[in-house]
Amino acid sequence: MKTIARVLLILTLGAAPARAVLGEYESSVSLDRESMRGEDRVISAQGYKLHQITSPTGAVVTEYVSPEGKVFGVSWRAPVIPNLEQLLGSYIAPVRQAAQAQTRRHGGPLIVRASDLVFVSGGHMRAFHGSAYVPSLLPKNVSAEVVR
Amino acid sequence: MTLQRHSVVPLARLLAVVGGLIFVASCGGSSSTPTPTPTPTPTPTNNSVDLAVNLGPTGDYVNGLFTSVEVCEPGSTTNCTTVPNVLVDTGSTGLRLLSGAVSGLSLPAVTDSGGNAVQECLAFVSLAYIWGPVVQADIHLGGESASSASVHIISESPQYPVPSSCIPTGPIGTPEDYNTVSALGANGFLGVANFAQDCGSSCAAASNGIAQYFSCPSGNCQITSVPATATKGQVWNPVALFPQDNNGVLIFLPSVAAGGAATAAGSLIFGIATQSNNALGSAQIYGVDDQAYFTTTYNGTQYSGFVDSGSNAYYFLDSSTLGGIDCADNKGWYCPASPLNITVTNTGTNGTSGSVTFTIENADSLFNTGFAAFNDLGGDSGNSLSTDYFDFGVPFFFGRNVFVGIGGQTVTGVTNAPNGFWAY
Repeated sequence: MKTIARVLLILTLGAAPARAVLGEYESSVSLDRESMRGEDRVISAQGYKLHQITSPTGAVVTEYVSPEGKVFGVSWRAPVIPNLEQLLGSYIAPVRQAAQAQTRRHGGPLIVRASDLVFVSGGHMRAFHGSAYVPSLLPKNVSAEVVR
Repeated sequence: MTLQRHSVVPLARLLAVVGGLIFVASCGGSSSTPTPTPTPTPTPTNNSVDLAVNLGPTGDYVNGLFTSVEVCEPGSTTNCTTVPNVLVDTGSTGLRLLSGAVSGLSLPAVTDSGGNAVQECLAFVSLAYIWGPVVQADIHLGGESASSASVHIISESPQYPVPSSCIPTGPIGTPEDYNTVSALGANGFLGVANFAQDCGSSCAAASNGIAQYFSCPSGNCQITSVPATATKGQVWNPVALFPQDNNGVLIFLPSVAAGGAATAAGSLIFGIATQSNNALGSAQIYGVDDQAYFTTTYNGTQYSGFVDSGSNAYYFLDSSTLGGIDCADNKGWYCPASPLNITVTNTGTNGTSGSVTFTIENADSLFNTGFAAFNDLGGDSGNSLSTDYFDFGVPFFFGRNVFVGIGGQTVTGVTNAPNGFWAY
């Protein structure tokens, strides 16, 4: 996939309260919009909808919402890696573990396939991308491939 | 393709570069105004440094591309130190050195408009991060010099705590902290990517909100704006700051046999089509987009592609797409039962297209050799089609001349690549 958008990202975060959205209800998206000082565009798709938050400098975080109103996936395109603790909430735990368990890989992406989380962090300086989704929260008849 | 490092330099070529020549003492007299050269037989600037692929200072780094960098206090030819084991990284921009490697030097801080020392934080795709001040130093590489360049110091004992906004996984202690030689596997990075600056105009804007450059008045670190100027600003690819040979680099590594080699030795050559040793020859030019990617096509599907000497393998596709070739011992690596040949087509933004074929072998077996140099190491780039890409790491460089063109610079014979290019 030609997946790198020509965009830049901002994610600012002060002393962080729990603002995570992955696995939370759609209402939590507004917290990310506020912290990014971004514009939120809502797009309907077959079997789900997505919030595309674009920061003033053009960075994009996309949050995927099921018909039940839960965020089942997030993705980003950004000049710096966003604060994943904020985006992933409790789902950060397996990512932390994996980040500490890499063997001999240098400069390559981080991929996590945990029991209920699939996570990828890739790209290079000034052009990072990544995504995460919760398989058990995927809406019926929606492919995980939509989270990109 | 062979590299002619020692061929006789035609007089016309010499005269063409005379204007940029400077004479360099052992510590690099970094006069900023080139001295007119009265002698009719000048010597070209030494535009080459040695590269070594070995296990590095930690003894376990596979496919690390190391060189030595001399740094001096600005304007000094005596207060200098040579830092060995610096990773040459075509996937990042700028010189970044561990604080311990330059502890004997007094390097002035780069300050923001408020007069506060600028700090920088960078997180890697692995989610590790580095953090520390930006300072000014003269950088010497072979006979080339970048004067009063901004250099990122990776603090082993940071003056300020790293801001939580730049640690992707949150402030949970030190495991993702790359600020030591044991974690980094090197004394720093020499970033020679397509980008001239490590952030660009975004970080120069007021209230930019990008968690990369900080300053810490009263000890409280906040995002700050830093201009993209050649000195006293953002961290630059040092090559772009050289008075000559400043439009990119050429990396040459010899071929290694299947199964690897204990070590390998090559060259990092500065400039493209500026001297007799860096002519493009038959290399094809692949322009990159404004995020330094080209397009890689595999089995009819297009992916983002880039070349990265800071990646120690071909990171491409994913294990399930390739039929389940995960290694038993080393997670994230490919262990095909028999050698796996992959052919892709790379297409530049300038329309150039060409195929690349490489081979992947069993990483568990390769690692067991204890060797440092492999042209057949591979690992996952994503989880599935939607997240996969092609990262042509160090294995791609073996047996090739690989040119990295810096965006915005002029290269004789290259058109239509405003964001820079790869050539091989």
